[in-house]
Amino acid sequence: MEGFTCNLKTYRLLKGLTQGELAELVGVRRETIMRLEKAQYNPSLKLAIDISRAVGAGIEEIFVFE
Amino acid sequence: MNEKNTRWQTLALLGALCAAATAAAVWYDLTYNGGKLVYPMHSYAFAPTDIPMLLAVALDVVYALYLAFLLVCGIRAQRERVLRTNRTRRLSPKFGVLGFLGFLGFVGFWSYGTWGDATPFVFFGFFGFFGFFFEGKMSNTLMDERYKENAVRAGLKAYRTGFSIIVVLLIVAGQSSRSRAELIAPVLIAGIALTVALTMFLSEYLLYRYDHDDAAALEEP
Repeated sequence: MEGFTCNLKTYRLLKGLTQGELAELVGVRRETIMRLEKAQYNPSLKLAIDISRAVGAGIEEIFVFE
Repeated sequence: MNEKNTRWQTLALLGALCAAATAAAVWYDLTYNGGKLVYPMHSYAFAPTDIPMLLAVALDVVYALYLAFLLVCGIRAQRERVLRTNRTRRLSPKFGVLGFLGFLGFVGFWSYGTWGDATPFVFFGFFGFFGFFFEGKMSNTLMDERYKENAVRAGLKAYRTGFSIIVVLLIVAGQSSRSRAELIAPVLIAGIALTVALTMFLSEYLLYRYDHDDAAALEEP
């Protein structure tokens, strides 16, 4: 996706979570987390908020739209 | 798993018993009852010698009703499970072989040529069951927002394709209405049945592709 960068992997690793654990925490599949980290999927606002709470970082720090 | 196998074996055994009872009743009817209940009849008067055949038919009806009851219960249980767990229904990809039932549609060429009956062309719709193969591959998948988004996208594309084909079919049928009017019914029935099958198959196939294929997922707007 053009102009979309996702820093989820960095924050997830800082929090010491695996993709599977994060997926379970926010109620999605591990594949969805994988796509998010590759910036191949644009999450809904609800999922973005859930992820930001799970990894303890702001939405705008994790998901960067240029 | 063993309990499930035992249930299938019991069902198959009951089916075999019903088939054997019907075969025995037909043999009895043909041998001792003049084939009264085997050949077509215009009026019926009960005779005690009809009892074996009537019992066999009753047994078949009860068995068919029991199968229908099990099917309804199974569908209801699956639906409840889907709602409770937010996961797709459990289905083996092997059910995809049911798609071969679509070949029954070719019976339509024979029945239309012989009696002018175009109804069997409807069976072409069974080709859509090939989609069970891809649905089975995504069996018991968590329906998160990406899955739901992909399902909507796949469904839309499949329905759009189906409707486009139906529009083309209608135009073609409209053009030929004066010269070959008698062909409109079979062409439309077969064409619409095939379109329904294609739509059923495409919605499952595209969902699988969108969910598994990076390139396809990125191509879509």
